[in-house]
Amino acid sequence: MPEKAERILRLRGIGKRFGAVQALSNVDLEVYAGEVVAIVGDNGAGKSTLVKILSGVHPQDSGTIEFFDTTTTIDSPTDARDLGIATVFQDLALCDNLDVVSNLFLGRELHRNGGLDEIEMEQRAWTLLRELSAKLPSVRIPVVSLSGGQRQTVAIARSLIGDPSIVILDEPTAALGVAQTAEVLNLIERLRERGLGVILISHNIADVQAVADRIVVLRLGKNNGDFRVADVTSELIIAAITGAADYSVKKTVPAPTLTAVAR
Amino acid sequence: MNSRSPTPGSQTSLREANRARIVESLKHHGHLTQVELAGATGLSPATVSNIVKELSASGVLHTESASRSGRRAIEVTLARQLGLVAGLHFSSRHLRIAISDIGRTVVAENHVPLALEHRHDSELNRAALLLTDMVESVNASMADILAVGVALPAPIDARTGMVSTPGLLRGWEGVSVAEVLGTRIQRPVFVDSEANLGGLAEFRAGAAKGAGGAAYIRVGHSISAGMIVNGSIFRGVTGKAGQIGHVTIDENGAICRCGSRGCLDTLAGGPALLELFRDDPGMQRLRDLLVRAEGGDASARRVIADAGRHIGIAAASLCNLFDPERLVIGGELAQAGEILLAPLRHALERSALQGLGGFPEVVQGELGDRAELLGCLAFAIDHVGVDADFRAISASNFATG
Repeated sequence: MPEKAERILRLRGIGKRFGAVQALSNVDLEVYAGEVVAIVGDNGAGKSTLVKILSGVHPQDSGTIEFFDTTTTIDSPTDARDLGIATVFQDLALCDNLDVVSNLFLGRELHRNGGLDEIEMEQRAWTLLRELSAKLPSVRIPVVSLSGGQRQTVAIARSLIGDPSIVILDEPTAALGVAQTAEVLNLIERLRERGLGVILISHNIADVQAVADRIVVLRLGKNNGDFRVADVTSELIIAAITGAADYSVKKTVPAPTLTAVAR
Repeated sequence: MNSRSPTPGSQTSLREANRARIVESLKHHGHLTQVELAGATGLSPATVSNIVKELSASGVLHTESASRSGRRAIEVTLARQLGLVAGLHFSSRHLRIAISDIGRTVVAENHVPLALEHRHDSELNRAALLLTDMVESVNASMADILAVGVALPAPIDARTGMVSTPGLLRGWEGVSVAEVLGTRIQRPVFVDSEANLGGLAEFRAGAAKGAGGAAYIRVGHSISAGMIVNGSIFRGVTGKAGQIGHVTIDENGAICRCGSRGCLDTLAGGPALLELFRDDPGMQRLRDLLVRAEGGDASARRVIADAGRHIGIAAASLCNLFDPERLVIGGELAQAGEILLAPLRHALERSALQGLGGFPEVVQGELGDRAELLGCLAFAIDHVGVDADFRAISASNFATG
């Protein structure tokens, strides 16, 4: 019996306005379990607004959010966390002076006999980091002494502590060197293998093509294409981002051909 | 290569030839005892013992006491301080990098997922940076790297160092990778196809070890074979030997990226298999297909079995032409094990000529997804020689193998 992947998240007709600026209009997005969906677009395309709606920073003006086929609302970051949506923002929001374990369990510390259960927390931290094949020298050193890739690893590991079903990564490879980018890309593969839905926001088309299964293009706050990675070339994605090609028709676009760009 | 080559036929030249024999067999086998060395080189145990003593005194070889079936023995390896080699395997979706010492112990390893249609400029750039990083992480410098072996997912023409056939690896056409990367890192680079190097690794230290003749069939994003004939890789004139992914299976089939129709790749290559699950968002990579098949999903198992059957037909032709002793199946899809292998064997036995000993053996590779990478390292070590002054040198700069 063919068991298809489960749909975790479905956004329909999402709209968001900030004063005179229509940041998002009528945006659709679907994420399945074990799938990496990349959201790409130019500056001001609405990527960050979409992430903020999903992480509960601000609610949408119109449209519906379905989580595991149940319509729901995300009014606050707590709602998002309780649903199982974890977000790793670009600035990572780590406490530089605390060690890795304290960062992972910040606000969710484990207690025992009225004190902190440091041993249990450290053990869980190691288990998690090992599952992610993370390369860290120690979990008891302050985060400030880690490299950019390692800090990203810690931030992603922290997002997994609450057992989410979707992880949103906002520009995880921006400002990282080649070796550190490799580390983060491998980490995204691990998340996918754990059966999580991953939403990846990135400017780097090569990185996106390396790890994503599907690429959703936003342009000026609207959908401009939803492609399976196997079907597209980087030229097509760039054409969709810049508006040289128009894929704004509603519903998933079938396998596009080069003639679409020529037109 | 030899600055002061001795008079031919003299005692000195004989000793040098014997020395070279010992170094060569250690490059092939990694580590051997003195007795095994005598067997492998055909030299007398006394000669072996003398040369080993001389070479370990000058730091070329390293000896260690060991025991073989209860007897004391001296195990010989090439000395680590001779230098390091690097291997780069660019597959369709992954870049794997490793650094090993000359005794084939891997000291650093890394990998990165790659975009589907990756291109030579950005990927070689990335590889050079990653390699530099890794060299530093083992406290060495680029100058310690004696040779770099590179595997690409396409046939390579040894005469030009470029991809031999258009269409198979679009982003890498018309570029001599050995030259571009060699200039970039200032180290000698040697390039070959992934199937050839995977085959080399399985022949030296994996499932094809000891086979008189073997073919390594790599089943993944594309299908290709590396053929070992008389102990070395058979490449053909332009490097295209073994490209069984482009054997015609269906005269009226789908158009292949090579320009032909109904090639094996269009029926059993990775994209063709995944295309059958187009409407299923959970089926985007070969890994997904393998996980499903392992979980008992009937359609996934059927698709892999059909691929095995098609590959078996092409493999039968290969067997009839080259008569190998063993077929080693590697690449991502080989992880499906008997789900792939049993139908492959069945199809092979229907169309291949039967010998007195039956059909060629069909086995799964032993080195898994690292076969090609280990092949790159072995290929690089093959190009390292030891000159008359006991310095490790690399055969010829910027040449392809």
